[in-house]
Amino acid sequence: MSHSGRSSSHSDSPPQDLKRERDELLQSLGRGTRLTEEFLAEVEELRRRMAVLENENARLRATIQADHAIRDLLDKIESLEVEKRELLSKFKQAEADSSVVSSRIHEMESEFANLANLFVASNQMHSSLSPRTVTRRIKEVLAQLVGAERYGIYLVSHDGAELVPIASEGLPAAELAPQPLASSVAREAFDSGAAQVDEERDPSTGTAQHPAAVIPLAIDDRTVGVIVIVSTLEQKRSFETIDFQLFKLLGQHAAAALVSASYYVQAGRQLPGLEAFLDLSV
Amino acid sequence: MAEYSCLIVEDSPMMRQLLVFALSRVKNLRVTEADDGVDGLRKLASARYDIIVTDINMPIMDGLKLVKRVRSDPMHKDTPIVIITTEGSQEDRQRALQLGANAYITKPIQAPQVIATVKELLKID
Repeated sequence: MSHSGRSSSHSDSPPQDLKRERDELLQSLGRGTRLTEEFLAEVEELRRRMAVLENENARLRATIQADHAIRDLLDKIESLEVEKRELLSKFKQAEADSSVVSSRIHEMESEFANLANLFVASNQMHSSLSPRTVTRRIKEVLAQLVGAERYGIYLVSHDGAELVPIASEGLPAAELAPQPLASSVAREAFDSGAAQVDEERDPSTGTAQHPAAVIPLAIDDRTVGVIVIVSTLEQKRSFETIDFQLFKLLGQHAAAALVSASYYVQAGRQLPGLEAFLDLSV
Repeated sequence: MAEYSCLIVEDSPMMRQLLVFALSRVKNLRVTEADDGVDGLRKLASARYDIIVTDINMPIMDGLKLVKRVRSDPMHKDTPIVIITTEGSQEDRQRALQLGANAYITKPIQAPQVIATVKELLKID
């Protein structure tokens, strides 16, 4: 038994070297297990980090895409700004052009109105051979077109010494007597054959001594009378271009219309025979 | 495009001619002339007009009487009336406006003003 026990004890107890090997093996296995666990933990950590990085990557990709979109939008805004500036510039140019055209149309309308006034004045003066009607129409031109309030129409006497009133409006009787030409306020205009207008003064404040305008009446180059506009209507505070054109027209046409009408009446309202026109040799 | 008709009542041939010249610038506006208020009423009785331009001072029947008669005429009671007055005749102007005139133009008349007034009352460009 003791032998057996000894032998058993001998056999159960591994030799020291085996024991050491076993322990070393067990230690190695333990280390392997730890290493494996560490490795697995590392793998897990790497997976987690990879997932994080993937998420980060996805987010960055999204951000980059958004940046691209924003950049595209900024480019679009810039191009729209350029387009807007171009359109504004074109609009301003068109507005300026429109303003020029409007101004030109306004000028043309005004010019047309002036020409209409001149045509009507001339037409009215020459469309009658009655001295009374011609005189009335000259007065109408003065009152309605020029805006004269007080005025007189004078013809020079045969001896050339006096200005004799043939029509007037708003003048006192004292001013309607024949006036010696030499001392008349109309002398300068009569002698020069040019209308005398004080453009510095308000024509509505004119007086008999300082009339607003004096218009010489001529037939060809001969002055045969004057129109003295003493003052204009209150609202007429200055003479415009059309007024000067009307003065010119009156100066050139009024006397001729009056003289023609007078001769026609003197001739018993008879038209001249054709022979009067045959030797014109035009 | 609509066509409008205008009656000018004015005893002075020169003023009439000027008004016709001015209003001939308004597109699609047909202009008829009358020598005085009586002639004007006669023409108003025979046709319908879209606007009336009348002088105040006229023989036989003046512009004030014409305005009054037009406002009592069923066919033209709402027709715009433009009166032509002188600067000094403010009472006539006020009376005409009270009687139903819509606007006034002061002599000496300016064609652009006549055109603008008529266009405004007819509401045309």
